[in-house]
Amino acid sequence: MNCQRVQDCFIEYQDGTLAPDESAGVRTHLASCPSCQREWAALQEITRKLDQLPAAEPGPRLRENFYAMLETHQRAADSRSPFTFAKGRLEAFFAALLPARPSLQFAGALALLAGGLLAGARFLPPRPDPAATSAQAEIAALRARVDDMSQLVSYSLLQQKSTSERLQTVLAAMELKSPDRQVLTELVGTLAFDPSVNVRLSAVEALAPHAQDRLVRAGLVSALSRESAPLVQLAMIEVLGSVHETAAAPVFEHFSRDETADKNVREAARRALAALYNPNPASGQPPAQANQPTPVLS
Amino acid sequence: MAVSLAVEVETSDHELMIAVRAGEIARLGELFERYHRPLYGFFVHLTNQTSVSEDLVQIVFYRILKYRHTYRDEGKFSAWIYHLARKVAADHFRKHAAAPAATDPLDLHNHPDSGPSPAATAATADDLTLLRTALARLPLDHREVLVLSRLQNVEHKEIARLLDTSVGAVKVRVHRALKELRALYFKIRREDAA
Repeated sequence: MNCQRVQDCFIEYQDGTLAPDESAGVRTHLASCPSCQREWAALQEITRKLDQLPAAEPGPRLRENFYAMLETHQRAADSRSPFTFAKGRLEAFFAALLPARPSLQFAGALALLAGGLLAGARFLPPRPDPAATSAQAEIAALRARVDDMSQLVSYSLLQQKSTSERLQTVLAAMELKSPDRQVLTELVGTLAFDPSVNVRLSAVEALAPHAQDRLVRAGLVSALSRESAPLVQLAMIEVLGSVHETAAAPVFEHFSRDETADKNVREAARRALAALYNPNPASGQPPAQANQPTPVLS
Repeated sequence: MAVSLAVEVETSDHELMIAVRAGEIARLGELFERYHRPLYGFFVHLTNQTSVSEDLVQIVFYRILKYRHTYRDEGKFSAWIYHLARKVAADHFRKHAAAPAATDPLDLHNHPDSGPSPAATAATADDLTLLRTALARLPLDHREVLVLSRLQNVEHKEIARLLDTSVGAVKVRVHRALKELRALYFKIRREDAA
């Protein structure tokens, strides 16, 4: 064993943890090597001094502080109110839910901001300022007026169109399953004022399915009184008779007595009048009007 | 004066700590009684300041409570508590910039008189002061390994695990530290004599 090797073993030799044969080697070397002897003595001396360092004894404050802290912890653990418990759970929930890494948190915040901006632009209508509101009201009023005008224009256009075009309009109206009030009004208007017999005849035809309508019946009655064409007169009498329109009775009466009227028209009016006063149940058409004069013709 | 850390009393340190972890916080009192003196000695020899050392011991036990859930089933309590103590000491030194303060005379005065007799005390008091001063001047890593191995009687194997190094490296460091301490000791004595 050389000096370096021996001195490397000093700590274990001192501890007594060196293997027996190595321990013997160190001992024999030490016996013959003055330099290693000095080194060993120095190590022993400083070690002894260190060992003489008194164990430091803490003051009573340490123990007092410790048990005070322990008690505080114990109390906190014992008296966890439902509120703090819920709060803890809530915090744990969000901690688990939200990213812990600052970079991810930043990205999340950016995403939320972008999402909010998009949602706001998409779903929230811009707050209308008063000027725009009044402007919109004006526009609505104007549009209503223009609508009226266009109706007027369409009427006048109807008047000015060629016969075939007007006929087409009426036929188109006939196609409608449930025409609205405006269409019916137009048809009645056509029936009353159109110069063409064909158009008026078509109008009667178009109105026939809606003869139950009061407006239509009234229109038919008033148009019949001024109608001059026997064909149209016949068609109207037929329609009015089929719905037992009692209001048409005076007109029927007039036609049935009018010597200048067409013979067929006179006949039809007379028949319709008879049907009005003596409804025939066999016809399958029950009297539409309950207030008609009592049929007591014997 | 040597404090044996390996003493196995009725309930082992490990069992106590497992109980503390499970919520029996009061059991920490028993661990305090077993460990507060060695810990205090560790900090006093490391920092050379008594009141600071009391605070550091308190911090270690506070951290044990705070991090009790991280104590592992296969853990060894003495290793864990020294691990925490080293961190607490490192935090302290970082906060109080670099080297520990030289022995404060007032602090020395606070050291309980544990000497054998008044006569002997007079002779050795200076010697001990000298040794403490020398110890305080050692680089922290050397001072630490000396305190652990010579003053805390922590096994070299355990120190190696604590410092995350080999047993051989620990022995070499202890040897170097002892030689350095001795050199410092005589240097300071010469300076004092001059």
